[in-house]
Amino acid sequence: MSRDRLKDLLQAAVELELSTIPPYLCALYTIRPVGNDEAKLVIRSVVVEEMLHMVLAANVLNAIGGEPQVTGDHAPRYPHELPDGVVLHLLPFSPEAVDAFLKVENPDQSYQPLAADHPLLGGRRHQHHLARCAQSAEGSGPTTIGAFYREIIALMEQAAGQMGEQQLFCGDPARQVGREYYYAAGGRSIIVTDLASARNALQEIVEQGEGDMGSIYDDDGDLAHYYRFKQIKHGRAYTGAAEGDPTGPPVAVDYDSIFAMIANPRSEDYTDPDLRAASDAVNRTWSELLLQIEASFNGTPEAMLPAVHSMFKLRDEAIVLLANPLSGHAGRTAGPTFEWDPSAQADLGMPL
Amino acid sequence: MNGEEQYDVVVVGAGVNGALMAKYLTRAKLRVLLLEAGPATAESFEGYTRQLTHFYGVKAKGPEAPWPPAVAAPQPDTHDIRTEGGYFVQKGPNPHASSYTRYLGGSTLHWLGVALRMLPEDFKLRSRYGVGRDWPLDYRDLEPYYRKAEFDLGVAADVADQAHLGVEFAEGYDYPMRRIPPSYSDQMLSTAVDGMRVSLGDEEFTVKIRNYPAARNSIPRGDFIPDGAVDERADGQALARDIGQRCQGNTACTPICPVQAKYNANKTLAQSERENLQVLTQAVASKVNVDPVSGAVESIEYQRYEDPGSPRHTVHRAKGRVYVLAAHAVENAKLMLASGLGGASGQLGKNLMDHPCLYAWGLTPSPAGAFRGPLSTAGVDDLRGGAFRAEHAAFRFDIGNDGWRSATGAPDTTVADAVNQKKLFGRELVEHLASTLSRQIRFSLAVEQLPSTANNVTIDPQYLDSLGNPRPVISYQIDDYTLGGMSAAAEVARQVFDRAGITDCTNSEEGTWFPSISHGDKVFHYHGMGHFGGTHAMGDSPETSVVDADQRSWEHRNLFMLGSGSFPTMGTSNPTLTMAALTLRTVDRLITELSS
Repeated sequence: MSRDRLKDLLQAAVELELSTIPPYLCALYTIRPVGNDEAKLVIRSVVVEEMLHMVLAANVLNAIGGEPQVTGDHAPRYPHELPDGVVLHLLPFSPEAVDAFLKVENPDQSYQPLAADHPLLGGRRHQHHLARCAQSAEGSGPTTIGAFYREIIALMEQAAGQMGEQQLFCGDPARQVGREYYYAAGGRSIIVTDLASARNALQEIVEQGEGDMGSIYDDDGDLAHYYRFKQIKHGRAYTGAAEGDPTGPPVAVDYDSIFAMIANPRSEDYTDPDLRAASDAVNRTWSELLLQIEASFNGTPEAMLPAVHSMFKLRDEAIVLLANPLSGHAGRTAGPTFEWDPSAQADLGMPL
Repeated sequence: MNGEEQYDVVVVGAGVNGALMAKYLTRAKLRVLLLEAGPATAESFEGYTRQLTHFYGVKAKGPEAPWPPAVAAPQPDTHDIRTEGGYFVQKGPNPHASSYTRYLGGSTLHWLGVALRMLPEDFKLRSRYGVGRDWPLDYRDLEPYYRKAEFDLGVAADVADQAHLGVEFAEGYDYPMRRIPPSYSDQMLSTAVDGMRVSLGDEEFTVKIRNYPAARNSIPRGDFIPDGAVDERADGQALARDIGQRCQGNTACTPICPVQAKYNANKTLAQSERENLQVLTQAVASKVNVDPVSGAVESIEYQRYEDPGSPRHTVHRAKGRVYVLAAHAVENAKLMLASGLGGASGQLGKNLMDHPCLYAWGLTPSPAGAFRGPLSTAGVDDLRGGAFRAEHAAFRFDIGNDGWRSATGAPDTTVADAVNQKKLFGRELVEHLASTLSRQIRFSLAVEQLPSTANNVTIDPQYLDSLGNPRPVISYQIDDYTLGGMSAAAEVARQVFDRAGITDCTNSEEGTWFPSISHGDKVFHYHGMGHFGGTHAMGDSPETSVVDADQRSWEHRNLFMLGSGSFPTMGTSNPTLTMAALTLRTVDRLITELSS
C-alpha cells in the first residue's frame, strides 16, 4: 500500500538527516576554543539545518499517521553510508573532513554505488534505509539526495490522488513540532497538515540541501554551505558573484588548533576504565537526547525543550573526552563514538 | 574643516534611541547621518567575539570590562569610585555610582535587559502625591509606543504577570515572546513568600515574586521571529544571525551576553535601510552651532579619530534639516553646555537622577541553584506604587541567580574566606563550598530618586578630556526622600528573608568600596543602576523644562534631545523601554513633519 511505502521512505529520510549530524559535531567539537571562527560558524549553521531537516521529515511522517523513530536500530552507526553513496566518517576538523562535507553538501553529487566488496555493504545495519531508497525510484536508485526527496513528493501526490488528501493526511496535528520548539536554521519548522504544507516542508529540505543551482548565494543573499566549505578548503573568501574556487581575502583556517581525535572511534578502543567511563557518559547523553527527540516526534513536542539541555550536556561531555590523549595512537586523542546505549532513560521533565 | 553634506536628520549617538531613529527614519526614505563617538566593534560577529575574548581575559569583570573606552571617547567606570579618578569629576557630596558605554550600540551592550513599563502613577507624581514633577504626557499616550518598543527590542514576558499596579495593556495584546522561565530560586521563593503581607506606613501590601519583562530571547508568540546575533559584513553575509535566538542561561547577561540572546542596539541598526544611512563611528560631536537670531541649529561639529588609542583627530561639520541628540543623559547635557546653549530655563544639566541601589544577601535553607540561568528573572514589584510615595521613595527588588557575585565578589571570595578564615581544606572545603555557594541569594533593592536642581551635570574649563572636550562635573546628593525609601526597602527585604527562612548575611563591612551614606543610625552602601535621567527634562513650559513632550528643544525648534535625560521623574522602572517608547513617538512626529 502506498501509505506504508511513504512511511518507510520518510522514516528513511528522518534517519538520513540524523546520520549527517554526528560527523559535523565531531568537526565542531574538535576545534579548540580560540580561532577557526569561520569554520565553527559554517559547521554550526549546517548542523542546525540538518536538525531542521530531520524535524521537517518527522512532521511529514507524522502528518500521514507515521511514528518517527530515531533510537535503537534507527540510530546511526559510523562509518555510515548515505543513499547517494557518500560514506560519513567521524573525523576531527581536518582537510579530509572538509572534503567529506564538500561531498555531502555538493548539489551536483550524483549516486556512486559502493564497490561490491565495500565492507559497508556486508554490514548489517545500513540495509534498511539504503535498500528502501534503492527501491524507491522507478528502475534505478536515486541519483542525489534531492532526487530522493523529489521521489517522495511525487509518491505523496500520487497517494493523495488515489486515496484522497484528507485520508492521506490523517495524522494528529498535536504531534507536529512547531516553531516554538524548533528555531534557528536559516529556516523554520513547518506544521504539516495537508499536501501543500508537506510539499513545502520537503522542498525546504531540498532547497537548503542543494541550494539554487544558478547562484552561489541563496534567496536571502547568503553564500550556500557548499561554497562556505570551499572557502574553508581554500582559505580564501568568495568576492561578488565569482564561481569556481574562491580567490578573495584570506579566511583563517588552522588545522593544528584541534583535538586530533582518532577516526571512527569505538567504545572498545577505550581500554582505560576512566576513559571508557567518559565515553560511556557521552553515549548515554547522546542516547537520552535521541529518546527526547523521539518523544517530541511522538506526541510530546515540548520534549524538545529538555532535549536542548541534553545538547549542551553532550557538547560538554564530548569535550571532556576529547581532551584525553589516546595511548597507542601517537598525537591522537579520544573522541565521541556516537553509539546507542540501550540502558539510557529519557528525562522528559519540562523546565517550565 | 571639511566634509559638509546635507542630510535630512543628523543623529548624535548610536545607542538604543539613535538606532531606533536611524531604523525608522531611513525606512521612511529620509537620509540620516549617525555620529557615534565610540568604536564599532559589535556590529560584526567577529568583532563581538573579540570583545568577548577580551572580557574572558581581564581580571576585573565589572560592567565595563568587555568595552574598554577609546582615548578620544572616555566613559565612566564603576571602578573609578574606588580610585576617585576617572572620567567624571565628582563634586559630591555623594558619588554618582553609575556608568555608561560609548560604543556603537551604547549601554545596551552591557545592560541586563529589564524592560518594565512605568506605572501610570509615575507620570503624575506631583498631582497624585505632591512630590517630584508631572510629565507632560501620561501612560495612555505612551501605551501604543510601549507595545511597539516591546516588539522592537524583543521583550519576553506574559501580560498575565505584568498587568498590575494600574498598568494596562491593549485588548488582546501579549508580549512578542513568552516570559523567560522562572529560575529555580524564583520558584523556591514564590512558594515561601507569595501572599505575605507587608506594611508601609498605614498601607498594607501583598508581596508576590513576579517574573519581569526582559529584552532577552525566549519562545516567540505567533509569527514573531527573535533577532539573534548581529553579523553585518561588507559582503552582506550574516552567517551568525541564527545564534542567540533563545537565551541559553549563560549567567552573563551583564556585562556581555556570549550569544547575543540579549537585545543590543546593533540589532536595531542592522534593520535600517542602509542606502539612506551613513554611520560615522569614532566621531565625537563637540559643538552644536546655532543661528543666534532664530535659535535654529545650523550644524554639528565633530572630531573624527582613526586610532582608538590616540587623541589625534580631524574636525568636521555635519548639516541636516533636523538634529537629534541621542548621546546619553550626561553627554547630551555636556554637549549643549559646551556649545554655550545652557538655555534660559536653567534646567539643562539639572535634575540628575539614578536608581541608587542596595544589596541584601543571605543563605537559603536548601540549595537554590545559584550561578545558573539568566542573571536574574524575577523580582518584587508590589512596592513600586502607593500612597507612601508622598513620604518616601518607591522601590523594587531584583532576585539574582548569581549568588553573592555582585555583593561580595563570590565565588572567589567565598573560596578565599573558607581557606584563609575558616582554615578548611580537602573534603571539608569541597563540602563547605558546595553547600554554601548553591545557597547564596542576593536581592538588589533599587530605589526611586526625585528631581532636584542640586543634582546636576556642569562643565568646567579646567577639566577637559584628551580631545579638549569638557569632562562631566557631577554634583549629586541622595536626599531624605530616597533614604526613607532605602530604609523601607531594607526592612521589607529583611522580612522577606525571614519569611523564606533565609539567613540574612547582609553586612555593610563587606563590599566596602561601595559608597556609604547614613540615615539616622543606619548606614547604607549603595551602587548605581546606570539609570541616568532628568538632565533635559520634558515639561509643558519653556520656563521650567528643556524639551516638550515630543522631546523637541523649546529654544531650538529643529533640535530633539532623546533618552532618559527627558524624564521629569524616574519612577522605579529601568528606563530603557520608556525611552525607546518616547523615541518611537518622536520618530512618528518627525516622519510626518519631514515627509510633508
